[in-house]
Amino acid sequence: MAATTYRVQGARPRSAGLTGLALRTPYYVLTGGLAIIFLFPLFWAGIRSVSPQPGTAQVHGWGMGNYNTLVHYQSGIWQFVMNSAVISGLTVVFTLAVSLLGGYAFARFSFPGKNVLFMLTLAILMVPYATLLIPLYVLLDRLGLQNSLLGLSLVLTMFQLPFATFMMRISFESVPRELEEAALVDGCGSFKALLRVLLPSVRPGLVTVGLFAFLAAWNDFITPLVLISDSTKWPLPVAIANLRGLVMGVVDYGATEAGVAVLALPCIVLFILLQRQYVRGFMSGAIKG
Amino acid sequence: MSVHPPTTHPESLSPPGAVSSGRRRLGLSRRRRLAGWAYATPTAAFVAVFFVVPLLLVAQMSVSDWGLFNGDQGLNAPHNFSAAVDQRLFWPAVRFTVEYTVVTTVILMGCALGLALLVQEATRWNGFLRTAILVPSALGLASASLLFFAFYNSDTSPLGQAMQHLGLANGPVSFLGTPGHALWSTVALIVWRYAGFYMLLLLVALQSISADVYEAAEIDGAGVRQRFTRITLPLIRPTLALCTILCVTGSLLAFDQFYILTKGGPDNSTLTIVQLIYNAAFQGRNDLGLAAALSIIVLGALLVLNIGQFRWLRGKED
Amino acid sequence: MISIRSTGRRRRRAFTALVAVAAVSLAACSSGSGAKGGSVAQGGINGTDDGASLTLWTRAPLELQANQLVKAYNASHKNQVKLTVVPNDDYVSKVGAAAGSGGLPDLFAADIVYVPNWTKAGLFQDLTGQINKLPFAASINKGHLTAGTYRGKEYVLPFILDLSVMMWNKTLYKAAGLDPNKGPATLADFVTQAKAIAALHKPGVYGTYFGGNCGGCGVFTWFPMIWASGKDVLSPDGTRSLLDSDTAKQVYSDWKDLWKSGAVDPASKDDTGATWVGPFQQGKIGVMPYPASLLSTVDKTVDAGVTPIPGPDGGGSTFVGGDGIGVSKDSRHEAEAWNFLSWMMSDDAQVNVLAANDNIVSRGDLANNKYAVKDPRVVAINKVAASPDSKTPIAVNFQQAFNAPGSPWVTLLRDQVFNGKDNVAQDNSAITSVLGQ
Repeated sequence: MAATTYRVQGARPRSAGLTGLALRTPYYVLTGGLAIIFLFPLFWAGIRSVSPQPGTAQVHGWGMGNYNTLVHYQSGIWQFVMNSAVISGLTVVFTLAVSLLGGYAFARFSFPGKNVLFMLTLAILMVPYATLLIPLYVLLDRLGLQNSLLGLSLVLTMFQLPFATFMMRISFESVPRELEEAALVDGCGSFKALLRVLLPSVRPGLVTVGLFAFLAAWNDFITPLVLISDSTKWPLPVAIANLRGLVMGVVDYGATEAGVAVLALPCIVLFILLQRQYVRGFMSGAIKG
Repeated sequence: MSVHPPTTHPESLSPPGAVSSGRRRLGLSRRRRLAGWAYATPTAAFVAVFFVVPLLLVAQMSVSDWGLFNGDQGLNAPHNFSAAVDQRLFWPAVRFTVEYTVVTTVILMGCALGLALLVQEATRWNGFLRTAILVPSALGLASASLLFFAFYNSDTSPLGQAMQHLGLANGPVSFLGTPGHALWSTVALIVWRYAGFYMLLLLVALQSISADVYEAAEIDGAGVRQRFTRITLPLIRPTLALCTILCVTGSLLAFDQFYILTKGGPDNSTLTIVQLIYNAAFQGRNDLGLAAALSIIVLGALLVLNIGQFRWLRGKED
Repeated sequence: MISIRSTGRRRRRAFTALVAVAAVSLAACSSGSGAKGGSVAQGGINGTDDGASLTLWTRAPLELQANQLVKAYNASHKNQVKLTVVPNDDYVSKVGAAAGSGGLPDLFAADIVYVPNWTKAGLFQDLTGQINKLPFAASINKGHLTAGTYRGKEYVLPFILDLSVMMWNKTLYKAAGLDPNKGPATLADFVTQAKAIAALHKPGVYGTYFGGNCGGCGVFTWFPMIWASGKDVLSPDGTRSLLDSDTAKQVYSDWKDLWKSGAVDPASKDDTGATWVGPFQQGKIGVMPYPASLLSTVDKTVDAGVTPIPGPDGGGSTFVGGDGIGVSKDSRHEAEAWNFLSWMMSDDAQVNVLAANDNIVSRGDLANNKYAVKDPRVVAINKVAASPDSKTPIAVNFQQAFNAPGSPWVTLLRDQVFNGKDNVAQDNSAITSVLGQ
């Protein structure tokens, strides 16, 4: 994978030993400082969420007071976590299903309107979110899906389709035809061939698509802001953003930091576990344009 | 680097004469085409219902008197568009959005390129660095904005306290309280969040440059700067252009960070176009027709910009 | 090539089906709104108490009183009300988004200055018949009722009255050598007293405070200063702004004077209204115009004195604000919702829940209730609420002109106090143009 192999530019033999270390120390200091700059805010937020602060539920001593605030805020943090989980789960399932079938179709079949449909799918990237959200608000209402997690998930799936379809298409195209042909010769229909033979081969692509769909759905802010008005159905980002203005007189920064910790935790965990898929997803961003 | 996705239609070319049973199987059979359509149907359904229909609807809404509460009241073109442009805050929002885009793109591209150059060698330390720089990209933009909202709190901000210690400020620093500060604080947030992503894209471009080219240049006596400007920059230009397009588009459509950090303040100095759209629809004006007109204007501007950028990119690529 | 035609037809059929689905969905009437579960009058004068679950939305500033009312109601009725508290800044967009998709709760409160706009937009159900049946209908707060009246029909009842009063910190007054039992009687007094507190130079303590980036706070606290001199701020039909009068200019220049002299807490400049009531409760402010609804909260930490808000020539006035409440157009439990409203206007709720907690009652006939007379400050508040100089401004586009973030009103007051720009006429006509939209 591209991310793990790098060529050396203008390499010189590295000076070994202490001299080398002394020469390179400023480099380590500089880059170490850089690493600290990027990592510090996250650590800071995590530590602050459990440290004593005036104006929060955790004024004296260390503890989980701020997280307690979250639990008792409106419907409670668990409700919002559940909402986010449902939205993300639905979005992932829909995206995987649609892009798996769609990628297969575009990669392996020829049918009239194929290019038009593919271009139209990619065209979603050209249209700004804001342009689509206003009519989507009206449209979901007409379909009876207003203010619902299902409606929101369908919209989020649509926004994922360009990347997901493209990703699955190139995944399928990189599978040798012989695999599929062999299955078809053995009498499988195309669907069985898809499930039995091709699916395992495109699994890395599926993981990448699923990962990005999950992260996009978990972190989206403006879409639920517009499409969900019932506060019991808020996903986490909207809930935490609203939490700040709740108490008149003081902004509860401790609870905000705790909220950020809850929001960020799954994302960081997924990032660390699936770094390779993460990077690969970004790369296809470069290729697709 | 190809900008358009690869299009391959091996099966649409029926080989003249020679026939192999395998090829015929995957050939132009009607069943095959129907199967193709069947697999593409979910995609088509999503695209039709949630993309094409809303596009048509927003076009209709932009020329209709369409209130949030009372719905479609009939056509009123071009009233919505003139009202949109005549708004007190339209040109200020446009001006700020463009200013923000330029500042962010220049700084972000510069930082990303610098970081990419810094960490391109394959060492373990660099591997750690790359991961560290990439971690903020794991967060959503709203989460990052909420984090920095707390981070920039005048009373307790570690950055503010550091600045006071260093003598850069006397008294608590107001990060979001003046237009200038609010802009730079937001840019800092965006750089923190997105530098890793663009660094990664540029790294791929950098490592696709063969070491031989550099060696040849060095033999010819080219210095470090010349190698950079004459070799590196031209060879990564397509990727750099792509990153610029992505960054410009994203910045023009900025919403989350401003909604969370400043809500457009202080004094409407950080109001972006998308915030205008949201405010027109839901913040009291309750005029969906006006919001639709604004969003069509944004769409038009972006299409022109993207097409222009692609043309420029293709023009340079030869 | 032969097979093209049949596949073409099939493709066309599929495409037509797709378009048909889209067309049907476009043509379908909007669902979800227009609840016709029953009518408000179904349960008679007291409504229906049958164990229904009702939803109620309110703004964060009035959370305290809302909770008091809801708790008392739930304890004594079969119906149960579920209260949702929404941050002030997001209330308008939340209601708007819900209203547009038929998702409003059974009951929702609205800042009284938004009520004309939302009433006109049809967000509330007609309560005229029910209100007229109430025995005390004539003594319900006129300002609030009028705000919710459209074309002769009444849609809104007063939920919680919030009035602005001048509050001062008696401890700080003593320390500054001021009479702790007398607040400012004129605007000039206010300026002098605030400067005196600032002159103490106590760390973190300032003379006064205001929401410098908060349009709603500004109208709540500064309008009475103009009204106290008998002047108006809006034309009677609510379409023209009179905020460039000489009285208004005097108010602006007094605040500018305070800011320049350092008597105002610097945090005022950025305050969007999220924290404007905090510093006084922490004992850091000498004197400031303040919401009377927070009197009991303030009493916990500060020894506070209360007086009506004066103008440049003295007098006293207050902004009769707070929230009105009505049954939403999307409610399916109208009779049960009315049960809550009629209980809320009853003697029991007004006296034993609101007044008992130092709140102002919404009925003129209960102004001298047993709790009110105990605290001379509450008596003073009730008195000024009934004064002819105390008003509730009514304008359909009030929110856009004054409360919305970045409204022309906020531009005006910031220009006057912070930015030192002398263009009152210009800023004022910006307000007028928004009012007249």
